[in-house]
Amino acid sequence: MSAGARAGAAWRSWWFPALPLRRVALLRTLLHLFVVLDAWRITAWPLAHGDVPAELYRPLLLFRLLHVPAPAPPVTHLALGVLTASALVVAAGRLPRLAGAVCAAAYLYWLGNAFGYSKVDHDHLALLVALCVLPTVGAARGGGGERAEGARSEAAGWALRCVQVAAVCTYFLAALAKVRFGGWDWAGGAVLAWAASRRGGGFSRLLLSVPHLAVLLQHLVLLAEFASPVLLWLRGRALAAALVFWGLFHLGTYLTLGIHFLPTVVCLLAFVPLERVLPRLPRLRGRVPALRR
Amino acid sequence: MLRLSAPARWWRTALALTALALLVDGTLRGNDDRWPFAPMSQYAFAVDLDGEVRSTHVRALTVEGAEVVVRLSPGGVGLRRAEVEGQLGRFVADPSLLEAIAAAHARRHPDEARYARLDLVQDVSGLRAGSVTGTRTERLATWTVPDPAHPMGCCR
Repeated sequence: MSAGARAGAAWRSWWFPALPLRRVALLRTLLHLFVVLDAWRITAWPLAHGDVPAELYRPLLLFRLLHVPAPAPPVTHLALGVLTASALVVAAGRLPRLAGAVCAAAYLYWLGNAFGYSKVDHDHLALLVALCVLPTVGAARGGGGERAEGARSEAAGWALRCVQVAAVCTYFLAALAKVRFGGWDWAGGAVLAWAASRRGGGFSRLLLSVPHLAVLLQHLVLLAEFASPVLLWLRGRALAAALVFWGLFHLGTYLTLGIHFLPTVVCLLAFVPLERVLPRLPRLRGRVPALRR
Repeated sequence: MLRLSAPARWWRTALALTALALLVDGTLRGNDDRWPFAPMSQYAFAVDLDGEVRSTHVRALTVEGAEVVVRLSPGGVGLRRAEVEGQLGRFVADPSLLEAIAAAHARRHPDEARYARLDLVQDVSGLRAGSVTGTRTERLATWTVPDPAHPMGCCR
């Protein structure tokens, strides 16, 4: 095999690994259920934005290009209805392409509204990517023929890889942004003290009471974010350990600062062989139709 | 195994690489306006260990004469604190914009006393070696609502 052909094969096996369709089916259900939770409980403020006068609406570039008007009822309520209905249809394993595309568009609208008042968060990127790429896989629940139980597909591999890359981008580019806006000395500054004094609870006072702890943690954050691309090449226990690390990291920022980053955390599930892990959770088996064998 | 045809792989590759390029460029050179290709900028700014921390609030005097803290939250006036901070310059340059907060309050909480005057204030905490030493309050803007029953003409 020539060098070019070898590179092509390596490219294909990295971006298009043949992965189980069942993994996509499970991830799809979990992420779309999370979208419902997100819209109703976590990122619920676009509904409230409907009551804020349009004078304070600062539409994002994309929304200006598309001439999206300032959100107001009943459009905000309609958007929530469409988002919820389409997400539940996908979560149930029905109409993955059509309902998935509608859900992705509704979520884009929902988030553009959420961030259209001069505060943009970056924690939703991986989830938005997931909603955009998962419909491209098409039907993924065990059926007959090519898509039978246990079938593997390159389309499934590409979609999962995109979600993984988006999650890693969220971390790695956050490190780049910290260096861009805060300089290389970002980690030696007082950003945790800043955050804790503005919104912290009891744990944050504990954190700040230990000398140098905040600066040490800031260095750890920057190092971990810069190192995050290794997630894309780790396997087995090393990968599991890295995922547990990020889970604990987010739990820590939630307990100290009230920042949870859940929309990114759920996308880390794209690294997990869900079709093998979930059936081992005995209580789930038998209750979730997609897990029945 | 379900394999993808060459065209199916090509458009997926083009889509992934384009999005990746836009994302990287957004963080290296872009701003929030480019979302979803905006910089991953939460907590990405320098805070001097001996600097200060500013925390923004809006206070209101109601038509009943009570001083209240305006709840800058989805359940409150529907606008979050960070959103007020994101357009702080606009409020300072044109304090009449504060009336929009009174209008949002009137729409969302019709049973509560209307706001007659709004003050945009900041708590400024001094830091020394990363620890808060003391806090003072600065007033940035004030607006008296001409018609508190109908801020910005709303709720008639």
